[in-house]
Amino acid sequence: MTQDISQYKGVLVLGEQRDGKIQTVTYELLTRGRALADELQCDLACVLLGQEIENVEEVIQRGADKVFFIQHPALANFLPKPYSNAICQLIEEEKPEIIVAAATTTGRTVMPLVAAKVNTGLTADCTELTIDPESKILLQTRPAIGGNIMATIKTPNHRPQMATVRPKSAKPAPIDPSRQGQVIVKKYDGAVFITPEKFLEYIKDTTQEVSIEEADIIVAGGKGMKNAEGFKMVEELARLLGAGVGATRDAVELGWTTYPHQIGLSGKTVSPKLYIALGLSGKIQHLAGMQTSEVIVAVNKDPEAQIFKVADFGIVGDVFEVVPMLLDAVKKAKATV
Amino acid sequence: MQFNKVTEQLIAELKSIVGEANVLQDEEKIEMYSRDEVSDKLWEKMPEVVVKPANAEEISAIVKLANREMVPITPRGGGTGLAAGAVPLIGGMVLSLERMNKILEVDTENLFMVVEPGVTTGDVQKTAKSYGLLYAGDPCSADSSFIGGNVATNAGGNKAVKYGVTSRHIYGLEVVMPSGEVVTFGGKNVKDVTGYDFVHLMVGSEGTLGIVTKIWLKLMPLPKYVADLLVPFADMQSAIKVVPKIMTAGIIPTCLEFMDRLSIKAAEMYLNKKLPYSDAGAYIICEIDGSSETQVQDDYETIGKLCLENGALEVFVADNMSSQERIWKARKCYAEAIRMLSPVYCMEDVVVPVSNIPKALEAIERISQKYNCKIPSCGHAGDGNIHATILREDRNEQEWHDLKDNVLDELYEAVYALGGNLSGEHGIGAKRAEAMDKHMTEAQLNVLRAIKKALDPNGIMNPGKLLKLQ
Amino acid sequence: MNIVVLIKQVPGTDNVKLDPETGVMIRSGKDTIINPLDENALEEAIRIKNSHPNVKVTAVSMGPESAIKALKEAVAMGADAGVLISGRAFAGSDTIATAKALAATIKKLGPVDLVICGERATDGETGQTGAMIANYLDIPVQTYVSSVEIQQAGVVVKRTVEGGFERVEVPFPVLITVNKDINEPGFPTLAGKLRAKQVEITIWRPEELGLDKSELGLVGSPTRVVKVFSPKLARDTILHKADGTTGPVDELMKFLAAKEVL
Repeated sequence: MTQDISQYKGVLVLGEQRDGKIQTVTYELLTRGRALADELQCDLACVLLGQEIENVEEVIQRGADKVFFIQHPALANFLPKPYSNAICQLIEEEKPEIIVAAATTTGRTVMPLVAAKVNTGLTADCTELTIDPESKILLQTRPAIGGNIMATIKTPNHRPQMATVRPKSAKPAPIDPSRQGQVIVKKYDGAVFITPEKFLEYIKDTTQEVSIEEADIIVAGGKGMKNAEGFKMVEELARLLGAGVGATRDAVELGWTTYPHQIGLSGKTVSPKLYIALGLSGKIQHLAGMQTSEVIVAVNKDPEAQIFKVADFGIVGDVFEVVPMLLDAVKKAKATV
Repeated sequence: MQFNKVTEQLIAELKSIVGEANVLQDEEKIEMYSRDEVSDKLWEKMPEVVVKPANAEEISAIVKLANREMVPITPRGGGTGLAAGAVPLIGGMVLSLERMNKILEVDTENLFMVVEPGVTTGDVQKTAKSYGLLYAGDPCSADSSFIGGNVATNAGGNKAVKYGVTSRHIYGLEVVMPSGEVVTFGGKNVKDVTGYDFVHLMVGSEGTLGIVTKIWLKLMPLPKYVADLLVPFADMQSAIKVVPKIMTAGIIPTCLEFMDRLSIKAAEMYLNKKLPYSDAGAYIICEIDGSSETQVQDDYETIGKLCLENGALEVFVADNMSSQERIWKARKCYAEAIRMLSPVYCMEDVVVPVSNIPKALEAIERISQKYNCKIPSCGHAGDGNIHATILREDRNEQEWHDLKDNVLDELYEAVYALGGNLSGEHGIGAKRAEAMDKHMTEAQLNVLRAIKKALDPNGIMNPGKLLKLQ
Repeated sequence: MNIVVLIKQVPGTDNVKLDPETGVMIRSGKDTIINPLDENALEEAIRIKNSHPNVKVTAVSMGPESAIKALKEAVAMGADAGVLISGRAFAGSDTIATAKALAATIKKLGPVDLVICGERATDGETGQTGAMIANYLDIPVQTYVSSVEIQQAGVVVKRTVEGGFERVEVPFPVLITVNKDINEPGFPTLAGKLRAKQVEITIWRPEELGLDKSELGLVGSPTRVVKVFSPKLARDTILHKADGTTGPVDELMKFLAAKEVL
């Protein structure tokens, strides 16, 4: 089956809502999508699926030219089948050239279904999306083989070109009230939404609420903290700074802290204002989860450690020597405020 | 022995030797040098100064200075010791080998690795492995212990059953003697009887006869196939009775470990993971290695069946990296996990002939009941080495002190009666110096004292360790 | 009840480097393991088998013939049978082509009630094949599952999602992808190991799956790798060496103040 790929135009991002509220990740995707649409000189559309959704205009104000709001009671909560069916219907109608979704539990579930249904390529967890200047094909770069190498992937002969990007890896554009765009409500035949699945409930997990994804400052520790006792220094500095505690996979596996604190490819992606990396060498898997942080500070005794390559400020030295000094300095600084 | 305090003058001279940054006096910074892994305030003491030399020449200069000033030196590796051997209990300076952490050579032709003392044992193992070779020393603390500390204590560990303790893998040493002279004995010659076996006098000398600055480690081919058995038993006695049967079944296991009910529970709490049959009375963990897959299979089948015939509740087999790691995590976390039961404890390291392990464990059980205290035990069943750990729990200082005295007295007595000894692998350090003094004959002690006196006439090298202060 | 568990053999180490000259991957160490989350998948299948009557568990893998070892391990853990699909025609498969091949395999096995796989594999980390297979089998999928309750005609799953959990009811047949919270993988028993020695692992070749050649391997893969490279990491780093004084830390505090991040 050969597609006439020239029919496909425009960039589409998959917005997300919960309880009718548009999730921030939608705006992050708009930033990504906007860059691609500008490069291709085409429209940026955003699809939202749900029953009732508040403030749909904000999607326009943050960068979209068009919003497709697929409205149906069966879309109130995420269920793979009705969501993927509806998106496929939209693809058939609108023929977007590129679809970008967030690498959330929703995006990472529905995108593979859609890709399989329309028989096209999908690249997960992209860190970089660019347009090849000559072929105008989407170049999708992601960490591969445990994250030690990067691979650039393309979908040359199938459309749409589909990718997911990690949440927090782009910043939402500020609201621009003057931006104009179209909100198109799509109502599809009920058959699209028929599913054997039944959504029972959503249970908020309060322990996840002090989430490191939201923290402005993160203090993270790795194997160099030596043991559970040593790792407490990471927690102490975090407490002093009102920061979240992050950890490498090693530190989590050694039981010094718990999985919700894990940052990196197999954990969370964060993008705080300040990231303080203590006693962690900066394996690429970890870097994949934090390298978009605004300011990165690293303390490590190995001057060759990878973490220094992404750090803005590094101290080469023993964490057990440097961190106590840092604790002192922070205490002092706080006392003078 | 009369020692002097560290003076400002001495500090200045130390700084001129190792550089200002490598002389630590700030309380917060030297705090971590005031203890090892013995979890008891009794065995902690702040050093007057910590020096971090970079090479043998600097150490030589420091040692000469210490002799001149009569200031004691406590050499220190990774600080993971369990006998307070690296704690400066009578003050003076701690000489930390942390900066001497280079792997100098991997000789794949002669199968040797030459390292500085501050390399972690784990790095030695990993480096050897990356060349398809094995460094067979394997203390549970390998990730953080220094190879120099392994040499100083003649560390044992899990693989001692098949491959022997650290001394078996040490073929040469460069040592800064207590006089400050730098000497090298041994090297890459596999046979070498030229002179006294000084290398093996140094191994296990706990920093009392000099400071090791370079180590020639023997490597061997990496076994291609490894399998581990995790065998739960309803009770400790049936578990431990199978040990001599395994040891005489014509197979030499690489490791043969045991954990009792309390240690299993502690590991489960520490790892926050459910372990299989965690209500069992005991685990036996047995590792087999070899160069043929079928041989390793045959061996573990033989041992597994032997266990089932002798009351094992189940035999679990781990023959790949991930399941093996899960088993060994449970065993290797013992020292840390025990803190989940009681933050303060006294971990012992007694050793008895393998056939007497059941009796030794019976004695421990009896003592535990007599004094109404918990004594979780875990250790190396294959070489008779038992880590019985007395828990303080919520006892007050005096009660704890009395309990330890009583339990240790009875424990050592029982162990000696079974032909055993005080320490299998953790060493004497300061913690057991008194006990060793009590249990060795005067003639034995005189030999040790004569050696110490001959090599370290001023007694500045790690005084009060191994031999108690006169 | 018929359960199929999908298993991938992955490198035991994530220590993969690129030869800076040739750009070829150097995989240090030849150790392979079962993808950790697939062990959770297998464990869950075995648990269901052990607590319900008439459950048959079949482990399925796609890969080189050395993956027989992983399937034997699955049998030792308690799976009833193992099937490997292997052949050169699979080479270069992306997630779409892989999913088509595995779906065809499951179909060939006959009616299935539950397919379980790990949410993602440690080598590719795409986490896409599960949902894609469900699509080709035309059965519902539930992802990020951290607990499964087996009911009369289906399952109730708990999914771990952003900020909490969801509970969803799905009738059989269904495919679920599991995360590491679902269980603690156990160990094979000696009896299981002895049984695994006897059990023959079925090997099916690409041509036995009834797929068109155009759907296999690289030809059947919509995506193409343009290039692989070692990540370039670069920021202008101000580097200080700890010297025992508070100097470097003071500099750091000044730096943070200037950046207005504290």
